[in-house]
Amino acid sequence: MPTRRILHLDMDAFYASVEQRDDPALRGKPVAVGGDAARRGVVAAASYEARTFGVHSAMSMARALRLCPSLVVVRPDFARYKAASDTIFALYRAVTPLVEPLSLDEAYLDVTENAWAEPLGVTIAKRLKIQIREATGLSASAGVAPNKFLAKIASGWKKPDGLTVIAPERVEAFLQGLPVDALWGVGPVTAGKLKAAGITRLVDVRAADPEVLRGAVGSSAEWLHRLAHGLDDRPVVPHHAPKSSGSESTYPTDLTDLAEMTREVEVMAHDAAAWLEKKALFARTVTLKVRYGDFTTVTRSHSDRATRDAGSLAARAASLLARTDAATRPVRLLGVSVHNLEETDVETSRPDAHPRLPWDD
Amino acid sequence: MELVVRKAEILRELQLFQGIVERKNTIPILANVLFDATTTELRLLATDLEVALSSRCEGIVTKPGTLTVPAKKLYEIVRALPDTDIRIVEEKGAVRVSADRFDSRIQTLPKDDFPTLPAPSHKQVATLPHAGLRQMVAKTQFAITGEDTRYFLNGAKFILKPGSLTLVATDGHRLAHVEVNCQTGLKAESGVILPKKTLIELGKLLSEFDGDVSFEAGENHLFFQLGGRTLVSRMIDGQFPAYERVIPKGNDKILEFDRDRLTNAVKRVALLSNERSRAVKFEVTTGSVDVTSSSSEFGDAREQIVVDYTGTPLTISFNAQYVLDFLNVVETDVVSLALKDEVSQAVMRPVAADGYNYTYVIMPMRI
Repeated sequence: MPTRRILHLDMDAFYASVEQRDDPALRGKPVAVGGDAARRGVVAAASYEARTFGVHSAMSMARALRLCPSLVVVRPDFARYKAASDTIFALYRAVTPLVEPLSLDEAYLDVTENAWAEPLGVTIAKRLKIQIREATGLSASAGVAPNKFLAKIASGWKKPDGLTVIAPERVEAFLQGLPVDALWGVGPVTAGKLKAAGITRLVDVRAADPEVLRGAVGSSAEWLHRLAHGLDDRPVVPHHAPKSSGSESTYPTDLTDLAEMTREVEVMAHDAAAWLEKKALFARTVTLKVRYGDFTTVTRSHSDRATRDAGSLAARAASLLARTDAATRPVRLLGVSVHNLEETDVETSRPDAHPRLPWDD
Repeated sequence: MELVVRKAEILRELQLFQGIVERKNTIPILANVLFDATTTELRLLATDLEVALSSRCEGIVTKPGTLTVPAKKLYEIVRALPDTDIRIVEEKGAVRVSADRFDSRIQTLPKDDFPTLPAPSHKQVATLPHAGLRQMVAKTQFAITGEDTRYFLNGAKFILKPGSLTLVATDGHRLAHVEVNCQTGLKAESGVILPKKTLIELGKLLSEFDGDVSFEAGENHLFFQLGGRTLVSRMIDGQFPAYERVIPKGNDKILEFDRDRLTNAVKRVALLSNERSRAVKFEVTTGSVDVTSSSSEFGDAREQIVVDYTGTPLTISFNAQYVLDFLNVVETDVVSLALKDEVSQAVMRPVAADGYNYTYVIMPMRI
């Protein structure tokens, strides 16, 4: 894969900043957006003033008030956050279609190719930060790096209003200085286990005994190993993967012939298989929907080994007909859909979805 | 430094260095080849710190000396010259390369920047037979990914025993295993992981040299000596996966194919396979195997191969490229495919191979 330019943009104390922007009386004050302390509310966002008292998100509001008695508690108003978020994402999408939202205020952008024909990720980050400020009055912190993992760490490096760049040639130096718990997914417990095994810096993972590593982080060992080498080839995915696909047909006159229904179902299963192939997905579940002449509707599902083989999907869908009253009742609608999709790696020409030999790991 | 070499002589050596020098240009000196001329010989040396090659070139040295020159540029120039004598003369900060009426001046880098390379100790030297080693390298190197972060898969496991050599490579999805029986001169068994680049360069050196290879494993480095050329390689540190366990023993459904017939059938049918998965199905029934494919975009294909088979029918799907990778490197007329069922790993072998045992394991695809 050629060197990518990935941006991670993270709005600073997003909800709290929107509140401070909209209510001048809140500016410069410790603000927490969240639920009522009396009703076991939690902090959804804390302003930087509140953070100096140790208030942070996901903390109970009662505890936040004990830490910071002068805390101004504001009930969340998601409509306003959503409006600000929409403005910001429109700015992102004007640069590249490869925008992957993580939440209302956080996104990855792949700007390897971009609408501004700008070769430097850092220039794009700078311009976006200015545009965000002009359009919303809010500040963002940005990380620029060759992949998602590094870009995310970079954006958290300097906050608020930060901009951190990890150029490809600086990745190694950057990794050398990184403690292992700088990774999301490595919490205090895991970090403790890793430390006990002599792994304090991320780069220590490289030389770690695979057994010890697996003991500490389980199945994430391989992933951690990649990260320790600064490798993360996850693509920036602009849309969330589809969860299902299917088609259905309402017939002008009700169907009564089972053979005809079977043919209809098989055609729809073939369509689903073609869709799976196009999306490079496999489905574990096939669902048949049958609406009888009297409008009562039933669905029947069958789950098995993931497949996208048209013949096998058609056979599975057709066999579901037997579990309905289709043979004895007129049918006005039939539908076939596939669910429980499993992905293949679309980024590589060699299919990573290709099954692995049965190693012990 | 001042010397004269024949174009053909220096070109052959420089060509071998093209794969060695570092391409990424992070350390400029690693793009250079070191010329070390003494009164009796010219030695050439290059490395990317993972692999190093040293070789000799015949020539007439009139003034001994040492310098480093960009390997790629020099190769391009030498290749473009007519077949004649080439004069190489050191100047201040540069080297003059001339032949016939051509004259050039190439900038050099300080020779003191060139890394020092480890030297073999000549203590535990094994003798590797040329033919066997060449077989092993050719039949395994394609199965190494080269870009896997499971670092041990970026190399091939090389096992040396007193009476045999084994080379194993895998990308996790398929595995190639070659064993050659030979007297290595070793007293004990040992195993190392060779980087992919080492295997590729070793393969090139083996095609340029006919004699047996001396091999020595140092503490961190491996040394392959092929006549006047020495390939030095770093060892990959790590645990190679327990490959013995993925080589199945009980695959009792055995098919034998004419190699050319199977190769051609898979190649033709694969033209209509899904472009991403490259899946081809083997529909095995009594007396025949139908190789089939289908692509939602283009259509489908089928070719029947007559085989001697009377077992249970079954259908199994493979990545066509994985099958062709194997077929492309074997030279026997007949190959076998041993199956257990639709989902377990399959084994391909050349039938009646001469002088080596080759086992190729492929994981079938989901269909």
